Amino acid sequence: MAEDIRPDYWAKASAGAILGLGLALSLVGLYAYLGPGGIDAPTGRYSLMRHLEAFVWIAVFGLCFLFRSGRAAWTWLGAANLIAFAALFACRFYFFA
Amino acid sequence: MIRADIVKHYKTVHTWTGISCGLALFIAFYAGALTMFQEPIARWASPPAAGVAAVPLDDADRLLELVVAAHPEARKEGITLHLRGHENEPARVTWEEDAAHQEGQPHEHVHWWATLKPDGTLLSKQEEPSELAEFINAIHMRVGIPEPWGSYFMGVVSLLYGVALIAGMIVLLPSLTKDFLALRVGHNLKRMWLDAHNVVGVTALPFHLVMAVTATAWSFGGPLWSAQESVIFGGRQKVVMKRDFERWTAPNPTGDADVMMSPGQLLQRLHAQVPDFEPKVMIFKNFGDKAAAVRFVGAERGYVGHTSFGGVMLSAVTGNLIKDNRASRQDPDRRASTTIFALHTGEYGGITITWAYFFLGFSGAWLFYSGNLLWVETRRKKARKGREDEQPRSTRLLGSATVGVCLGCVAGLSLTIVAAKWLHGSVADLNAWHAYIYYAVFLGSVAWAFAWGAARSAVHLLWLCAAATISIPLTTVLALLFPALGMWAHGSAATIGVDVVAFIGALCFAWMAIATARRVRHGPADSIWSIRKGDDHTAHEPVAIAAE
Repeated sequence: MAEDIRPDYWAKASAGAILGLGLALSLVGLYAYLGPGGIDAPTGRYSLMRHLEAFVWIAVFGLCFLFRSGRAAWTWLGAANLIAFAALFACRFYFFA
Repeated sequence: MIRADIVKHYKTVHTWTGISCGLALFIAFYAGALTMFQEPIARWASPPAAGVAAVPLDDADRLLELVVAAHPEARKEGITLHLRGHENEPARVTWEEDAAHQEGQPHEHVHWWATLKPDGTLLSKQEEPSELAEFINAIHMRVGIPEPWGSYFMGVVSLLYGVALIAGMIVLLPSLTKDFLALRVGHNLKRMWLDAHNVVGVTALPFHLVMAVTATAWSFGGPLWSAQESVIFGGRQKVVMKRDFERWTAPNPTGDADVMMSPGQLLQRLHAQVPDFEPKVMIFKNFGDKAAAVRFVGAERGYVGHTSFGGVMLSAVTGNLIKDNRASRQDPDRRASTTIFALHTGEYGGITITWAYFFLGFSGAWLFYSGNLLWVETRRKKARKGREDEQPRSTRLLGSATVGVCLGCVAGLSLTIVAAKWLHGSVADLNAWHAYIYYAVFLGSVAWAFAWGAARSAVHLLWLCAAATISIPLTTVLALLFPALGMWAHGSAATIGVDVVAFIGALCFAWMAIATARRVRHGPADSIWSIRKGDDHTAHEPVAIAAE
């Protein structure tokens, strides 16, 4: 059985607020590039994206207290941010430049 | 099964996110509930007008020609032809012009309306419409804090509200089957309030999730837009947006004159080409030009979607469909975006959904109010176990803040609505007075609540809410009985509905005031809701000093 999770409210909350926003922007950015029509599609996507970002941000912030500790939250969310931003910038500067 | 330690931590998260944004959310939800009837309130507050009915639709083409001849600058902004004849539409046609612009100030508009005199000549007048409904909406969006800080503040509040929703669900999940819909009315008041808080929160959860996501997205709209542009699009968002906007904009004028179809003919052409579209207004752009266009703003039957965006555009010369942005023709991303928008504003499902959102808005406001009370009550228990006679300062302050902010918002909004009739014609800038009155009542109520304490001030302020709200129908009755007062009483169902709902609301506030007064006098003394505590407290203090 896993040991009890530590409270670490401020460490987890800061990870949720900051890295949650990062993850929201990068994941929704991937949708903007890989979604139907691609990045230049003259659609209302830029308007929809804000709602998707808010959704991801809230979900990550809300669930980040499930991490075992503040350090774990920063590590895992930081790694997820690195991967997602790497994929986003690969799209932006390499595949769809 | 969710582990006990997780539930415990999420309880803390729910408590502190809820407490830190509960008061702002109360204002947003109460004012938001009122905005569901934004249009009836605007009609209630608008003085009797020259009248849309005064010019039959068949004469509207003549009116348009006269307006264009006398005010050629109106052609570019667009001339609005009203089709419904509501009290807040002063005449058959209205338009905006640029106000005299001062360097460094934002561009502002002045509003004009025009109608035909009985002899067939033009009567046009510049008159600012009542912005009462817009003021209520601004309170709803930014709780009365000026831009841009109001938006940023509400962005943070909405984000924490979303976190509080998730945390609340995690706390409740393990005992959901046991606690849900179990309203244990009894001696344990805290248990009863908690049960009620849970049942209201869980049943309205989808509504609250939509509100949290959309409010976060809009409040942080500007910063998120900039972040998208710099991080994701790298400068291409502007281009995409411009191309998207071309779908809504009218073609440029050619400079060659042509004969316009009459509004009646254009409506026929609309119904022939787009049968399921119900227009509210027609907006003529570049009237008289070969490239003149008319945009129909309205809703498409059977589709979720807000009415201010989109619509259909016909050529005003040929009547052919030139731009089609009704819901069923939007691209999937725009469609999803407008659907989410409408889920926030309740612009679907007609009057049933409007009323449902109205009550959901109140239930949300009550949710935050009851959440604060639960926090106070929990603290009270702890204080008693520790054998402290005095209630902790934090609960007294939060109690006062809850009473002052919540009831101050209610009373302020009611009084500022009433002022629309009483102050009309006697002050130069009525729209500014709506703000003065609201802020004076709101801040005065907050000060009163801190000065008198939660228990006493709750009774006073609830009576103030009842009095302010009953003034809405009383004003209409007075206007009927004494026409010399210079006020008005509209006879349409929408405006009478405002009076009736305000009357019922006032009765509710009066009932709450009576119930609170009873508890203040006879309820448990060791509560912030008792004035007996204050007497006990002064009696105990010397004893405590003596004991030391």
